[in-house]
Amino acid sequence: MSAKPGIPRNSLIWLLVAQVLVILPHLTHLPLWIIGLWLGCASWRIQIFRMRARYPRSWLKALLMIGAGFGVYFSRGSLVGLEAGVVLLIAAFILKLVEMSTRRDALVLIFLGFFAVVTSYLFEDSLVAGLYSLLPVTALLAAMIGLQQSSLVTRPWPTVRLAVSLLLQAVPLMLVLFLFFPRLPPLWSLPQAGGQGVTGLADHMAPGDIARLSRSPELAFRASFDGDIPPRNQLYWRAVTFERFDGRRWSQSYASHLPQVPEWQKVGEPLSYSVVMQPSGQPWLFALDVPQVATGQAQMMSDFHLQRRQPVNQPLMYQVTSWLDARREATSAPESLGRALQLPEQGNPRSRAWATELRRTAQEPQAMVNALLKHFNRQPYHYTLEPPPVGSDIVDDFLFETLSGFCAHYAGAMTFVLRAAGIPARVVAGYQGGEVNPAGNYLSVHQFDAHAWVEYWVADRGWVSVDPTFQVAPERVEQGLEQALAREQSFLADKPMSLLRYRDIGWLNALRLRWDSVNYGWQRWVLNYQGDQQSEMLRRWFGKLDGQTLGLGLVATLGVLIAVLALVLFKPWRRDTDVQQRLFRRFERLLARHGARRHKGEGARNFAERAAMMLPEQAPAILAFVRIYEAQRYAQQAGTADDLSGALRQVRRALPWRLSRSVDRS
Amino acid sequence: MRVLPRFRDRWLLRRIPPASSVRLNQRRIFIMPTAVGLAFLVALLLMLLTAINYQNSLAYGLTFLLGSLYLVTILHTWRNLAGLVLQAGGSIAAFVGEHALLRVRLESPGRGYQAVALGWPASGLRLVDVPAGGTVEVELSLPTQRRGWLRPGRVRVESRFPLGLLVAWSWVDLELAALVYPQPLIAERPPGGSAPESEDEGTLTRGAGVDDYQGLRAWQPGDPRRRLHWKAYSRGQGLLVKDFASLLGNDPLLDFDALEGDTEQRLSILCHWVVDLSDKQQPFALQLPGELAGPDSGQAHRDACLRALALHGLNEEGAK
Repeated sequence: MSAKPGIPRNSLIWLLVAQVLVILPHLTHLPLWIIGLWLGCASWRIQIFRMRARYPRSWLKALLMIGAGFGVYFSRGSLVGLEAGVVLLIAAFILKLVEMSTRRDALVLIFLGFFAVVTSYLFEDSLVAGLYSLLPVTALLAAMIGLQQSSLVTRPWPTVRLAVSLLLQAVPLMLVLFLFFPRLPPLWSLPQAGGQGVTGLADHMAPGDIARLSRSPELAFRASFDGDIPPRNQLYWRAVTFERFDGRRWSQSYASHLPQVPEWQKVGEPLSYSVVMQPSGQPWLFALDVPQVATGQAQMMSDFHLQRRQPVNQPLMYQVTSWLDARREATSAPESLGRALQLPEQGNPRSRAWATELRRTAQEPQAMVNALLKHFNRQPYHYTLEPPPVGSDIVDDFLFETLSGFCAHYAGAMTFVLRAAGIPARVVAGYQGGEVNPAGNYLSVHQFDAHAWVEYWVADRGWVSVDPTFQVAPERVEQGLEQALAREQSFLADKPMSLLRYRDIGWLNALRLRWDSVNYGWQRWVLNYQGDQQSEMLRRWFGKLDGQTLGLGLVATLGVLIAVLALVLFKPWRRDTDVQQRLFRRFERLLARHGARRHKGEGARNFAERAAMMLPEQAPAILAFVRIYEAQRYAQQAGTADDLSGALRQVRRALPWRLSRSVDRS
Repeated sequence: MRVLPRFRDRWLLRRIPPASSVRLNQRRIFIMPTAVGLAFLVALLLMLLTAINYQNSLAYGLTFLLGSLYLVTILHTWRNLAGLVLQAGGSIAAFVGEHALLRVRLESPGRGYQAVALGWPASGLRLVDVPAGGTVEVELSLPTQRRGWLRPGRVRVESRFPLGLLVAWSWVDLELAALVYPQPLIAERPPGGSAPESEDEGTLTRGAGVDDYQGLRAWQPGDPRRRLHWKAYSRGQGLLVKDFASLLGNDPLLDFDALEGDTEQRLSILCHWVVDLSDKQQPFALQLPGELAGPDSGQAHRDACLRALALHGLNEEGAK
């Protein structure tokens, strides 16, 4: 081992393999020039190894570094932040390859590789991604082993086999650490993976928005109920309310961001369930009305929606208890009533006139609502994902001209008319229904389940929810979007690859549901195994645990596991690992039973010759054994243990079986 | 400052006593993290911080997996020395200034061993693989500075396999020794050369040096005919050779006392002539104060002379 040991071929091979495997999952968020950079650097490094190229000079190295820095800046717009940081990390990981000449450089590269694997988890942490990451980790370990091997070892497979066996031996310890290592809250905040490209509900709603969302087969969230899953028509998952209308767009009023718990009374049986949300890039949570969550998870806002401080950028799990029949702000007129009557100064004159007319015939707010619902039901309204375009008076055009729209059209129009008639109302956006997964008894709610409905306020009853879409397309609520759109065949029409389109193919659907359930389990039990989850789980298994007991238990369990592994590795019960010695001892015992005992300090040959004289009939076999034994042991001659044990077998066969006892007594 | 090494040596002496064959067992193997291992732990800490700050279970998982791997590696690194048998395997002598070669045999009684390093840290370690159930001989070379027995003391045997995160090592005293001959110095052959061959019974009139009479010995093939003791033969005593008689024969006598200069210089000159005459296959005798070798020729004679030169005046018994 000289001062600057080079990198063995075996190690270099596995490093190159590891680099490909490490970079591959990053490609979804890396600029494309990184691939070119890798190809260039890898071929350069191979040429260096074949002594056809030289290591880069220091000015070239500096130039490459600066070039990569500029590349990151131009493709990511900054050098800080998670995305740019990861690109920089990968660029350094690649450039180091060319510069690498000593073992120390190779180790730096390997450590960078491990770190790059960790950062890939921040972008993608599905079950598949987790399992995949074992490949680059194994390759990196193989490269690390290759660094230690003498350069005579050139076959790459034994190296990687050793890496795999090391990893497998580490798995039990890892599981113990994973279960018991205390989870801490974040120590400081770091830039998060941006929620760019995340589909989901926005904080405003133009008529086409929800229809657009309904074309997406992506998962919004999953929910597991403690008891039975309630019937579909009760599954109105509230996300946000829209109280402001500017003539075209419905949007959240600033007041709905006030963390002021409105007054409400629990009525009926509570419903408990847990929700695992996909990243939405928005701060609100989904729950059935009226929800209660553990403090700290989120707060209830003045319009009954749940909101976190931070946007949901990672899968989030929370427990909810809901009272579906609760009375909301029933005792006194809420402050928000003024906002719930707001309308733009002008526009949609026909609707306003119609509202006034309706109100004249129906004095009571409830009668007014009923009249409206009846109107939607009786008139030839049409539920469609592709409504015809409307002019500037969108409510007028929808109500009296096109008569066709998606849930947002109905909810928006109904709220408008109610407000015009003097009844406080607002649009509620969220999701409706969900797909029951029999494999795991839970509910998956997808983006195409996005829905909008209406809430109006009546004295003494408080806020009442009503869904105008139900009057037009009851199958939307009772069965789902696919059935509601059965006639126009537009369900996920532009997503031919989505398995959700093929729910009518039995085995495929069963497979999809099972896979979904595996992923859900992964999310619930692995990805969300953080602070609360962990302490609750440990409490369920071990009762109350304090930090000290936990620490001691952790160390003790690790110790036991290592001891078991040591036993398996060293096999102390087989002390005599020397095969020749062991066979010779058996030979000795065999002859002793026939009366030939070895004296203390007597050499193998002398003993055998003496034994041969005592047992002349078996002399050839005895001497043959000793010849092989001596040849293997002292002359370092080649020969396998099989030869020796074969010779021993000959001796045993030559000796009469019955003789053993009688002579032994003498 | 010097107390510590002395204490360590005494402790090692008790723990790993010198022997020509040593089997490494748990009392003899020590294990520590390497610098790489410490860097690995720092990297793990960074990963753990990432996992905590991003609340990412997979990052936790990988951190724990690599941490567990570190623990598992302790066993494997240790295992890569445990049970290995080291044996002293002879040595090749060298002249001062050359490298002496010391052989060590590594024997695996069971499984194979990979990347076992052997040697002295000052002169670099040799890396060898020992196949399962096999034996490997390692030649360790050491620079020589003084004539006499070169006793390098304890050999370091270490292993960083498989991951280089930990180093398991032992200091084994195999009682290794190599003979170091004086450095040959080209100079005039010492005067006093050959003495005339005596014809009579062998009483010697050479003043000092009478004690060199070696008597008669049985004739062996290759003995020069002129040294045969014909009188004894005629008496029917068989063929005998006058051993001492050749001392004063025509063969050159390399005489220490006939040279000038300090002891080392004289030994170096004698050394040169021993090598030179042996290369010419010319019989010669070597006269050192208190001992005489030859006259004789051949490899054994050369080795005996060089050994005498190497050990002259040193209070050392010849090692095995």
